[in-house]
Amino acid sequence: MQEVIYPGDLLSETPIRAPNSYIENGKTYSMVLGFKDSSGTGIIPFEGGWTPKVEETVIGVISSERNNVYEVDLGSHYRSLIIGGKYERFSFRLGDIVEATVKDIEDGRTIILSYPKALQGGTVISIKPSKIPRLIGKNNTMINQISQGTSSKISVGMNGMVWIKDGNIALATAAILRIEEEAHVSGLTGRIKEMVEKR
Amino acid sequence: MASKANKPELIVNGKRLDGRDFNQLRPIKIEANVLKNATGSAYLEWGNNKVLAAVYGPVEAQPKHMADPSKAIIKCRYSMAPFSSLSEHNRSGPNRRATEISKVTKEVFEKVLMLNEFPGSQINIFIEILQSDGGTRAAGITAASVALASSGLHMRDLVYAVSVGKIGEHLVLDLDMIEDNYSDSDMPMAISPRNGEVLLLQMDGEYTKDELERAFKMAADAGKEIGNVQRNALKSIYENIDSKYKGE
Repeated sequence: MQEVIYPGDLLSETPIRAPNSYIENGKTYSMVLGFKDSSGTGIIPFEGGWTPKVEETVIGVISSERNNVYEVDLGSHYRSLIIGGKYERFSFRLGDIVEATVKDIEDGRTIILSYPKALQGGTVISIKPSKIPRLIGKNNTMINQISQGTSSKISVGMNGMVWIKDGNIALATAAILRIEEEAHVSGLTGRIKEMVEKR
Repeated sequence: MASKANKPELIVNGKRLDGRDFNQLRPIKIEANVLKNATGSAYLEWGNNKVLAAVYGPVEAQPKHMADPSKAIIKCRYSMAPFSSLSEHNRSGPNRRATEISKVTKEVFEKVLMLNEFPGSQINIFIEILQSDGGTRAAGITAASVALASSGLHMRDLVYAVSVGKIGEHLVLDLDMIEDNYSDSDMPMAISPRNGEVLLLQMDGEYTKDELERAFKMAADAGKEIGNVQRNALKSIYENIDSKYKGE
């Protein structure tokens, strides 16, 4: 297992801007529990919440509607809105599952979504947002492997919500939950491949 | 109750009542990520203290008028279970003492967590004392620190807390319940080991300047030991999963 870095560990005697680290008195310290990334200075966290970024895809559930403005529950403390315009009318209902793109983040606490698309049928499962990059894999390898192996349609939101439809939903869910648990263990792609091909 | 009249002999033959040296900690055991629903959690056994700490969040701040548009707010609840102690804390729920400890614990973590990353939100820290034997606020802070680290929230350091007391002319580390009740003074403190910054300091009794300096030295030495236990607890979450699946 790789060397574990703890919050407050000294990463460098010089100030370096790297992911999940902070600078104090000219020195760089870690601010999460994790391990070093390939660059050697940044930290890949084991756990962590979701911080929205512009142009990310998210999946959520419509939680309220008023005057063509829809509020979406993304499972985080951010308030997220789909705002319709004069020429842009949406017809979502409460409880609809939508996939959308983050257009803007206002005041660091309100997310404005664009290009919403209702996902018909299927189920949604929620996993830890920090494990989503592992679920997608390099060049989508991991997620393609699961969707081909189970012949399901899978859509992944960066906020931790995953939508699955058709095919072997139970197997796909089991595979995704297994990735969540074992994200940091090496050789995961092989084990998932074995799991979905065995059926 | 504790009084000078019925004070027991706390130091016998150069050893404390439970056979420890003056600068010796009680045995500490920490397990991280014990609660599935919490964002982060830890269970700690420190001598006879048994503490469960859980962290939830960031969630939307409630009530809404408490929300701070520039940073997250922390809500901390320290509570002793009604069965945690032999007689004194026989009623659960908030009381003067619990409210005070919740406040000082909250202030410790306000200095540690990167609150400006989540404006308008709230982070909940729950500390539940299941069994108490002196030094529970230190045990609570130590456990909550592990719970916060396991939750993945951004924090500056892995904080620890420990108490240093005075019995006669001796300074003693990590007081238990009897020592706490009858000692001449007691000083729980929470320290950020990265730079030695003191985040909590409460004092009951008197210290000379020289004793105070020695007390800080003792706490810093104990911090290395406590820090190792905290780190091992966090490491073992992932090592356990690692060894479980590597064999396949």
